[in-house]
Amino acid sequence: MTSYASYQLQDFVPFSAEVYFRLLERISESWWPLHVLSLALGIAAVVLALKNRGRLACLLIAPVWAFVALVFFRQHYAQLNWAANYIAYAFFAQAILLLLPALTGFGLSKSAAATMPGRGAVAIAMGGAIAVTGLIVQPLIALMGASGWQVQVFGIHADPTAITTLGLVLMLLRGWRVWLLAAIPLIWLLLSGLTLWVLQATAAWLLFVVLAAALSACVLLCRFLSAAGRTR
Amino acid sequence: MHHCVHRLTRRHCLKLLTAAMAAGLLPAWPGFAADSMPWQKPIGNSNNTLPVIGMGTWRTFNVGSDRQLLAARTELVKAFFALGGGLIDSSPMYGSAPDVMGYALAQLGKADSLFAAEKIWSPAGGSAREQVADLQRRWNIAQFNLLQVHNLTDWREHLAVLRELKAAGKVGYIGITTSHGRRHAEVEQIMAAEDIDFVQLTYNIAQRDAEQRLLPLAAEKGIAVIANRPYNGGSLIKNLKRRGERIPGWAAEYGCNSWAEFLLKFIVSHPAVTCAIPATTQLAHLQENMRAGLNPMPAAAARQQMARFIEAL
Repeated sequence: MTSYASYQLQDFVPFSAEVYFRLLERISESWWPLHVLSLALGIAAVVLALKNRGRLACLLIAPVWAFVALVFFRQHYAQLNWAANYIAYAFFAQAILLLLPALTGFGLSKSAAATMPGRGAVAIAMGGAIAVTGLIVQPLIALMGASGWQVQVFGIHADPTAITTLGLVLMLLRGWRVWLLAAIPLIWLLLSGLTLWVLQATAAWLLFVVLAAALSACVLLCRFLSAAGRTR
Repeated sequence: MHHCVHRLTRRHCLKLLTAAMAAGLLPAWPGFAADSMPWQKPIGNSNNTLPVIGMGTWRTFNVGSDRQLLAARTELVKAFFALGGGLIDSSPMYGSAPDVMGYALAQLGKADSLFAAEKIWSPAGGSAREQVADLQRRWNIAQFNLLQVHNLTDWREHLAVLRELKAAGKVGYIGITTSHGRRHAEVEQIMAAEDIDFVQLTYNIAQRDAEQRLLPLAAEKGIAVIANRPYNGGSLIKNLKRRGERIPGWAAEYGCNSWAEFLLKFIVSHPAVTCAIPATTQLAHLQENMRAGLNPMPAAAARQQMARFIEAL
């Protein structure tokens, strides 16, 4: 048997489903009622994106990524998985990446999301749907199968933060910059989806659906909207 | 089979006697007679012995700082010792498992029967000596009984340090580990050429590669063997239960009243295997595991019958 062929996905998940869902619960309990503020920030960011106020939207969500890096990954997840410290660095990096368009307008679309024509409009609509999924749909689905404290919330937990941010990136950015700002959220959704898959949690399918939709929208945006004049 | 031949010291006999008396004072555990103690096997060629059922901590003891789960795992450790358990195996790769063991031992006090086994794992960072010091602090103990090089990572360097620690009396035994049947050729070379006391490897009724060369070599060289993944990561026992398979009637002769007992007795009755380290979070499962350490045990012909039975399913 070769050394690498013998590894299975479950060899990389060093905790049980019970422990992981208790982790989500404990983070929620610790930070309540910050959820209200973080959710309001997320909704405000989506509204600003719809009004083509991309710089302000990015400015709102950049600190959210730094908070999730510190609290979700460094303070909690790292107790269970040493690799979480490295993921925290990636989340800090995403916070910095989001400051780029916030402070300089880098990669932001000049035209309002609602006015995009053709396939670009489809991609942007998908972005809006993904953002709403992160803010509202995912918590509602989780509420059906878990206790209230296990529901993940934008700005407190990693999954809804990544989903909502992906949606916003699709709504706001154009050309190759979409990939630059979508890469870390996409990679996290893949890792988180695989983790939930190993833990035999049904929530995994939602992450994979969002991942597939976001990848498709990224390709659409890059292919049809990277022409000169669409970006600053 | 020579499994009834134990080289017990006077000190160990006294320990066993004390434990047996203590067992009489404990609440009744299902399937355990008050005077029943797990079978013990000698550690290699030494006079020391180990109960044949130990406890692994991969995934099961990585609960972070969750007070509710810390209390549950402490109860599990308490039951493990009450049922005569000895070896507990962990690794810096297992997240917070060493800290959780430290918490449990601080709550319970260090049991006389504890045989603390840890590992040196390069990706955890720091030198081997630093890792040992850190793990002793996390376990809340002064010294480990066994230190192993985890999955052969930088084994030459780490084994050299472990040998120095053993010579200085800072650890009882040293060894190497592998799992999932990986790198058996290299494990064999190390067993043949290096002076080690323990080898930890995957051996269960569905994964028996070790029977070909590693187990005979261990017996020949007097190297104690820890069998990890006794349920093949849980899949073996889950599949048997899901399919509703019934334990064959003839297995009752060897005390197999559950699949856990069937699968574990197969492993620990191999003459070269010193102990198996099943991991669990459930008290009921722990009790099943520990019952597998009680006599009677299957002899060679019965072991073959057990293997054939599983192959035929």
